[in-house]
Amino acid sequence: MRWIGVVAVSLFALALGVSVGPADIAFASVLDALAGKGDAVEVAIVRNLRVPRALLAFLVGGSLAITGAALQALIRNPLAEPYLLGLSGGAGLGAVIAIAFNAGGVWSVPLAASIGALGAIVLVYRLALVTGGVLDTRVLLFAGVVVSAFSMAIMGAILAVAPAAELRNAMLWILGGFNRASWRTVSVFALYASIPLALFYWNNRSLDLISLGEEPAQFLGANVERLKRLLYILASVLTAAAVAVSGMIGFVGLVVPHAVRMVWGHTHQTLLPAAFLLGGTLLVIADSIARTLFSPTELPVGTVTALIGVPVFVVLVRRWAK
Amino acid sequence: MKRFSVGFLVVCLSACGSGSDSDVAARLDESRADTLQVTDSASRIVSLSPAITEILFAIGAGDKVVGRTRWGDYPPEVTEIESVGDGMFPNVEAVASLQPDLVVFYQSTANAVAREQLRELNIPTASVRMDRLADVPEVARILGRLTGDSLQADSIAGAFETELARSMSARAGVQPHCSVAIVVWDNPPMVIGGGSFLTEIVELAGSWKVFGDVDAPSPQVSIEAIVERNPNRIMTLGIEGIPQYAERPEWQVVDAVRNSRFTAAVGSEFARPTLRALETARRLEELLGDCE
Repeated sequence: MRWIGVVAVSLFALALGVSVGPADIAFASVLDALAGKGDAVEVAIVRNLRVPRALLAFLVGGSLAITGAALQALIRNPLAEPYLLGLSGGAGLGAVIAIAFNAGGVWSVPLAASIGALGAIVLVYRLALVTGGVLDTRVLLFAGVVVSAFSMAIMGAILAVAPAAELRNAMLWILGGFNRASWRTVSVFALYASIPLALFYWNNRSLDLISLGEEPAQFLGANVERLKRLLYILASVLTAAAVAVSGMIGFVGLVVPHAVRMVWGHTHQTLLPAAFLLGGTLLVIADSIARTLFSPTELPVGTVTALIGVPVFVVLVRRWAK
Repeated sequence: MKRFSVGFLVVCLSACGSGSDSDVAARLDESRADTLQVTDSASRIVSLSPAITEILFAIGAGDKVVGRTRWGDYPPEVTEIESVGDGMFPNVEAVASLQPDLVVFYQSTANAVAREQLRELNIPTASVRMDRLADVPEVARILGRLTGDSLQADSIAGAFETELARSMSARAGVQPHCSVAIVVWDNPPMVIGGGSFLTEIVELAGSWKVFGDVDAPSPQVSIEAIVERNPNRIMTLGIEGIPQYAERPEWQVVDAVRNSRFTAAVGSEFARPTLRALETARRLEELLGDCE
């Protein structure tokens, strides 16, 4: 019954994403346009802009929420989220370098951001192994914060000396959004993300164990060291891909898993799919609002996720506390 | 929005501050230029905006400019003047070391602290807002008073206003032959809105300003909003040729992108509001051609 509700909400969000936008298209015309009928411009807007954008927002939101859920289990810290482990700094630095040095090509910024993110991941990972070949999640957390701070410092120095105007745009890009959505982007991301997403789900039982703590998990038969590395790598590659297509959209990966846990409990077999669907739903709704609230001016989607997510979260916390 | 057509606030400086007897360049009532009283003219000026530097040269006060920002490039001799770095969040020590008797800021909260610090050093400052074409002659008049070049400044300002008004009225009632969207960034897409002088330039060039109704100077919009407004041409700033995003699949929905109808506006005259605006508009009109 709950699943029917979640799927219905997800479908509603996708329908909303396709129906609203700065171009005023009546709902009946949207349906026509989906079928390829009617005004050519409306067909192009609906089929080539709105549908891929809604799908991309859904996939990215779902990926971020699942990543957040897995990292919260891995590190056993409620503040864990996809950008915590040095990724945000690395990605931001990559993007700023690409823009500051005017690297060519439309994909240069997202690619540079992903490379920066992966570089930060490798550095953080190496640091977390200092305690003798064993991945220490406390060091992992700390290394993430430190690497992020270091990247931010370099980024600050570049911002100070490089030509100004375009760097403001770099910062806007980092804030996140789905303007890069096209069928090509959606299919590449969907293909790429399906592997880490499937592996996360495949390991849902192990996630249950590791969230109890490393010793109990070991006790109950999990290969803890292997599992920690796998989870960290999956989280990293998935987040780096999300950064490449949409910048850094905060909040979804932090709060959606917590919200789902309050309602669904802690079993990852249900937590992961529910977090995926609701993360996607939140981001599609947030993006619809971002596109239409001050149309034609667009809001950064990350601000909207926080503006609608925080009140929902507060309500959930209050209910849960009772 | 609120256009700041009378949005200059030249506020003085040491005169209203400590009451010291340093050479006060000018004193101005907070909102009205006509209450300006000149006690002494500035002769060592640091200009913290390329647009202000350009006007100082135009009114014949160029030889009094001893400092510029690193962006100052017009007229060409400006580049020979010493640069103090950025105009926003300026380096106060670099400015003060030039021993100016007047520092002119672009009005922004970003500059409030620097002004305060200069005031403590008894260096007079002024701050002007220049976002729209109507601001340009006003600023010229104010600068004329501050530098003792009022005569030339007033006459240039008057001539500019007359010509601007004539061009505007000549355009009024004439159907624009071309609709232009100025797209300055692709991800996120950012356009020039009604808050910028560039929108006025587009209008003066006889074209329809596609995002003129958006108040912000450079709003972020979605591709869909550009499609909906369907501009004949997309104007780009500061880059030659066709921008890279023109190849992206999601941009193909925009007619002007699909058909490569781009107009590249390159040059300092497109970077700031200047007394050259009418010339700039004529140049843009040529660039747009028959808009095909």
